[in-house]
Amino acid sequence: MTENDGYFLIALIVLPLLSAVCLMIIPSKERTLIVGLTAISSLVMFFVSVYVFMAYSFDGSTFQGVKSYPWVENIGLLGENGISLKVGIDGVTASLVLLTGIVVLPGTWVSWKIQHRLKDFFILFYILTAGVYGVFVLLDLFFWFLAYETALLPMYLLIAVWGSTRKEYGAMKLMMMLMAGSIPIFAAIFALFAEVGLGTFDMEVLLSASKDEDFQKIFFPLVVIGCGTLGAMFPFHSWSPDGHAAAPTAVSMVHAGVLMKVGAFGIVRLGAQMMPEGALFWGPALVALGITAALYGAISALRQTDMKMLMGFSSVSHMGYVFVGLGTMNVIGMTGAVLQMTAHGLMTALFFLLIGAMYDQSHNRDLPNFSGLAKQMPIWSVFFVFASLASLGLPGLSGFIAEVHIFIGAFRSYPIVGGLAVLTAAITTTYLMRALAQSFFGEANPKWDSLNEMTWIERSGAAVLVAAILLLGLWPSPWIDRIAPSLSQIPGLMM
Amino acid sequence: MPDISVTIGMQQAWLLPAMPVVAFLIISFFRKLLPREGDFLAIIGMLGILLVTLFIIVDFQGFFHDGEFHPGEANVYAFDWVRISADNFLFLIEFSTYIDAISIVMLIAISIVGLMVAIYSTGYMQGEDRYGWYFAVLSLFVAAMLLLVTSGSLVWMYLAWEGVGLASYLLIGHYWERQSAAEAAKKAFITTRVGDVGLLIGIILLWKATGSFDIQTIIAAATSGQIGETYLTVAMLALFAGAVGKSAQFPLHVWLPDAMEGPTPASALIHAATMVVAGVYLIARFSPVYEVVLVARDVILYTGLLTAFLAASMGLVASDIKRVLAFSTISQLGFMFVALGVGAVGAAMFHVLTHAFFKALLFLGSGSVIHATGRQEVEYLGGLRHKQPITAATFIIGSLALAGIPIFAGFWSKDEILHAVSSYASPFVYIVLAGTALLTAIYTTRLVLLTFFGDPRDRSAFDHAHESPSSMTLPLLLLGLLATVSGFFVFDAVGNLFGFSGGIGYLVYLHHPHSFHIDWAFASVATVSSLTGVIIGWVYWHGGAERAIKARTWSPDLHALLVNRYYLDELYQGIINRVVLGLAGIVAWFDKKIVNETGVDGGAQFIGYFGYRLKFLQTGKIPNYALGIAAGILVLSVMVLARA
Repeated sequence: MTENDGYFLIALIVLPLLSAVCLMIIPSKERTLIVGLTAISSLVMFFVSVYVFMAYSFDGSTFQGVKSYPWVENIGLLGENGISLKVGIDGVTASLVLLTGIVVLPGTWVSWKIQHRLKDFFILFYILTAGVYGVFVLLDLFFWFLAYETALLPMYLLIAVWGSTRKEYGAMKLMMMLMAGSIPIFAAIFALFAEVGLGTFDMEVLLSASKDEDFQKIFFPLVVIGCGTLGAMFPFHSWSPDGHAAAPTAVSMVHAGVLMKVGAFGIVRLGAQMMPEGALFWGPALVALGITAALYGAISALRQTDMKMLMGFSSVSHMGYVFVGLGTMNVIGMTGAVLQMTAHGLMTALFFLLIGAMYDQSHNRDLPNFSGLAKQMPIWSVFFVFASLASLGLPGLSGFIAEVHIFIGAFRSYPIVGGLAVLTAAITTTYLMRALAQSFFGEANPKWDSLNEMTWIERSGAAVLVAAILLLGLWPSPWIDRIAPSLSQIPGLMM
Repeated sequence: MPDISVTIGMQQAWLLPAMPVVAFLIISFFRKLLPREGDFLAIIGMLGILLVTLFIIVDFQGFFHDGEFHPGEANVYAFDWVRISADNFLFLIEFSTYIDAISIVMLIAISIVGLMVAIYSTGYMQGEDRYGWYFAVLSLFVAAMLLLVTSGSLVWMYLAWEGVGLASYLLIGHYWERQSAAEAAKKAFITTRVGDVGLLIGIILLWKATGSFDIQTIIAAATSGQIGETYLTVAMLALFAGAVGKSAQFPLHVWLPDAMEGPTPASALIHAATMVVAGVYLIARFSPVYEVVLVARDVILYTGLLTAFLAASMGLVASDIKRVLAFSTISQLGFMFVALGVGAVGAAMFHVLTHAFFKALLFLGSGSVIHATGRQEVEYLGGLRHKQPITAATFIIGSLALAGIPIFAGFWSKDEILHAVSSYASPFVYIVLAGTALLTAIYTTRLVLLTFFGDPRDRSAFDHAHESPSSMTLPLLLLGLLATVSGFFVFDAVGNLFGFSGGIGYLVYLHHPHSFHIDWAFASVATVSSLTGVIIGWVYWHGGAERAIKARTWSPDLHALLVNRYYLDELYQGIINRVVLGLAGIVAWFDKKIVNETGVDGGAQFIGYFGYRLKFLQTGKIPNYALGIAAGILVLSVMVLARA
């Protein structure tokens, strides 16, 4: 990746913001124009994301495509390069940028059928998208935190205005918990700034600067709690099932698909990369929390009947794997964790897209109410079975390659945890297969004969995600070749 | 032919799974556009597999001399799939194919039975819904199965292992409109996945000890004593757990009888001839390692023995023709594991081969009966030999092979197993196994008599019955031929005829190749036992319908125990309902009440309540505020004075 590719990174933030601004100007009754604009803008973002991913190849440097524009320096506490707009990516963020591009594309498509205030929905949706891209590409902690909050705040309105079931409750709970999670992150950022003492928020500088070991041990847990809340880490997960159940389709997709990964990524960037000694010290605790979440989420999911609640707990369980992988602090486990972020992002986005496609017609998501859906919505059911197989870790699909790395990473240091993690995959199989046998197969319930098959737009969106799941599952080396070398630069990481 | 075999040989084994994958993709996407929904593509794919298998065998001969297999570079093909490297560290998952005699036995079984089943299915599935989809999944299954037996890497073998599980799930649930089929598919997938937990753990444990996923590297490391014995025993038992699930051994055998909900030809291929022997293949593949960990080998022996006996006893009373065959399959797989448990890999693989032919034949024959009558409970069949002469004749050949009557294929392989058991294990094992062989002859005779002999018990079904079309009878005849002659593979002369020195025992049993010598005294004991079984069966079940019913009055309690499959299914369902779902209920309650309502909502309510109480301090009355200020000043003054 050349230095000039940094402009593409800037474009990733500017494009969605620009789209949001353009949408503000367009009168809200011009639906065609809104759809056209979002179609182009999401497609351009997708291609830029793909380009950024392809252009990145590990060359020994920590970050590539670095572009820096100083904003405030040499004032007060701020020294040289105090706060600057700085972008750049490593292998981890390259894969997450690609994930964002892939998820936002179908997320945009399925939102076109929204009748209520379509324009306002997309303005908020793209501001959120800009925030997500910002978190992945920005290399200045000041702007990084700004982007982090920008990614969260639109969520409240998106759920409270366009959501369903207990939307006010879900939105409020989600927002309160995530904002509470921001506080320790905020504290950790300023602590880092003070500890390094060079008067800069430049992440490259902060990364390479030496930090006291005790400092790292104290502030690493704060990062884990703060970012873990966004990553739905047990016991800070309870916003996730309710929030997902309340959120509209595209928001669930982007939220579970990408935003939860922002949380896990925060642990990588602020935690493992910035405070490796803290991460080494707290690694076992992170593994313990992760495996607890994996089992807890999977076991809870056995008793869920609402499809979105099922997916919410399933996400808690799958994100548990991510924390196990991160906690192992060896290159295989951590690579697996980053792969799992992508894998889980893709398949949850697919799940929520599908649930949305049905819920919009039936206004019912309760599994026992359905039977033989494969008769009424055959194509939809094929997609759903596919998503279930990806979720339960069928080899050849994205979940497996991520999970197997995590399992191996866990087995290297914590064989019992590794065994429990493999067992969790069997529990996942159980709750998904039970749901399929109960609601998708068997004799069709005539009550739902009026359900229509997915629209072509929804099918295309699902197809994009299916293609990505297959690609990652069958040919993972483009991801692994980018992620693993970047991670192996973390000092003290076990090989 | 030599010219082509230079370009197609063992190195090109990747072609085997590739061809049916292409067929799967084309059929699944374009079946609506293709004539006959693309079934011919599946058959072309199977023909291609058979051809490549032949080329591979030709190539393989070159690596076989002095009575032993000498693997070389040429039988391996590999590329990196995942590679993480750093200084002194390499994590590598290769895609590789590795071919030796064990794979070749599997390849022969898969390619021949696969082709027969595909041809048969064009007749059997004629006019059914999802006809093309059936052939697509059949191709997918064959692809995964071929990958499983040719993979040189454990990760790719696991991938294929799950792939055949997926195809099995889809085919068991092919008639998903029936709730019972949906439930059976679910049960099969979950049960085998429980075993796969062990398999994956075993794979990772072996990787941890050797740093490689390459099967041959692992075997070399494990047999050279690099790995501690306890560790290795745990790892090999974990691998065996996967085999127990996939090959339907006790205690995970419960899914296979239910799997009969799928279309019968699919049962023949997947649940009789190929997929269920994947476990046998796995253990045979690692047999050199199991010779080091004898504890694990004993576990295999006794698991196989128990399964063989239990399943045969359940087969005695089952009334569904396919379920009888399913119990028989479980029991025969038990025989194979017993052979592996005494280290007789050659005998086990030989039985894999003959069993593939005669059991596929029996399943396809039962499919022909079901196709003709629409009935599959033996209580409602009978006398069908008049209506379906070819089906009856071939079914009887298959039964004779299963019962172990001399010259038929099953006789030779079963004899090999019994012989190995008598030399390597305690007499107890031999007696139980021989007794099971007797039971096998009894239930086989029962099945044949109730289906094809006596008076028809469902007149209307009988009247509508007719011989099946040639697309179905042709595979029956070919498999009937193989069920008769494939046992001769055990003789050195036959091996030499095909260009290998020695028979199958020589070929497969890598470390102690041995030539087949039939011990007539020993074989005649087995023969007498089998014939006794046939006679007992005939005495009991020949003649009219009453006999079939009367059999169960002999001992109602025992009958109930067997019919209910030792109540194991109820036990497992009870465990799932009470223990697993009970625990899940507790966790879900904990999450809802403690974490969510107490922790999160409770926290929010507490803050809300706190704020509510505090708001009363803001009264808007100046005297109140003045009082507050005065009190504050007072407190501060006291503090200042105290410090001074």
